[in-house]
Amino acid sequence: MLQINYDPATNPLNNNEWSFPLFECIHIAMFAMSVGTIALVDFRLLGLTLRKYTAAQLLKATSMWTLAGLVIVISSGLVIATTDPLSYYYNPAFRYKMLMLVLAILYNYTIHRKVAMSQAPAAVNVLVAGLSLAMWMSVVFLGIFYAFT
Amino acid sequence: MNVADIANAIQDTDFFTSMRESALVYPIVLSTHLSMIAIFGGLILLTDLRLLGATLKSTPPSEIVRRTRPLKWVGFLVMITCGILLGGAKFASYYDNPYFIAKMSLLACVGIHALVFRRSVYGNPQAIDDPKGPPRAAKIAAVLSMVLWVGILSNGRWIAYYEKPDQYPRRAEPAAQVQP
Repeated sequence: MLQINYDPATNPLNNNEWSFPLFECIHIAMFAMSVGTIALVDFRLLGLTLRKYTAAQLLKATSMWTLAGLVIVISSGLVIATTDPLSYYYNPAFRYKMLMLVLAILYNYTIHRKVAMSQAPAAVNVLVAGLSLAMWMSVVFLGIFYAFT
Repeated sequence: MNVADIANAIQDTDFFTSMRESALVYPIVLSTHLSMIAIFGGLILLTDLRLLGATLKSTPPSEIVRRTRPLKWVGFLVMITCGILLGGAKFASYYDNPYFIAKMSLLACVGIHALVFRRSVYGNPQAIDDPKGPPRAAKIAAVLSMVLWVGILSNGRWIAYYEKPDQYPRRAEPAAQVQP
């Protein structure tokens, strides 16, 4: 068992009723913003919405919001994790979540971005967008499953 | 039969009982419910930002309102369906939960918001496509939309943290207790 020189009972988030749920709300609102703007580009790649624009235009229009959302969602997530770091560390759902999160971010700023910015064939667009949606949804699912495992 | 009995009867139906007790179905429905705001929230955010004049300025806002509407409905219906499953499964502890009531009220406000701003904003391309930028009503509608949705998800999260002040109210002592 991992030992850390830190007592979660000293954490302010564990010592009042409102701060933990408040950080969860920030976390949820910000993943809605970051994942939502990424999903918007995916929906365009799938040809489901706003066909007047190219995926590249939508990506440019939303990339700032995606990045801001990602920064805040990760920061608030770190704060939440400090309330009981070891229980997160040893939870399998949490470990898979971190793995999927890293993969999803890397994917988003490499392959996903490259395809969205270029005129790729429709089949490639569909595949890249589908994988992106699946990855981000798995991060959300694993976040919920943390509480159920 | 009072409200509590009705709420209990709803969550005690076979369907909602199995839903509540399933180790897998309940978290899957909850995750889907939550993913919908993540997947479809971007459409709402983009519309609001365009009405505020913050992005995609070269295209008329009415175009974005119109083109994103069908997909927004898809996300909304999946979200509501999951929400009914989740709410029904625990309805006895939800119906008098102040955060649940607040969430449902804010959801009703989303409907009122759509009706109120239909004539001035969402169903009025001439006004919102004004080359000088969307009118004030459009900006108010956009800000209110964001406030409502953040309010809904926040109250939704807070439902889980509410404890009834006295979940098992003490009954008056019986007049005479006969010990066997």
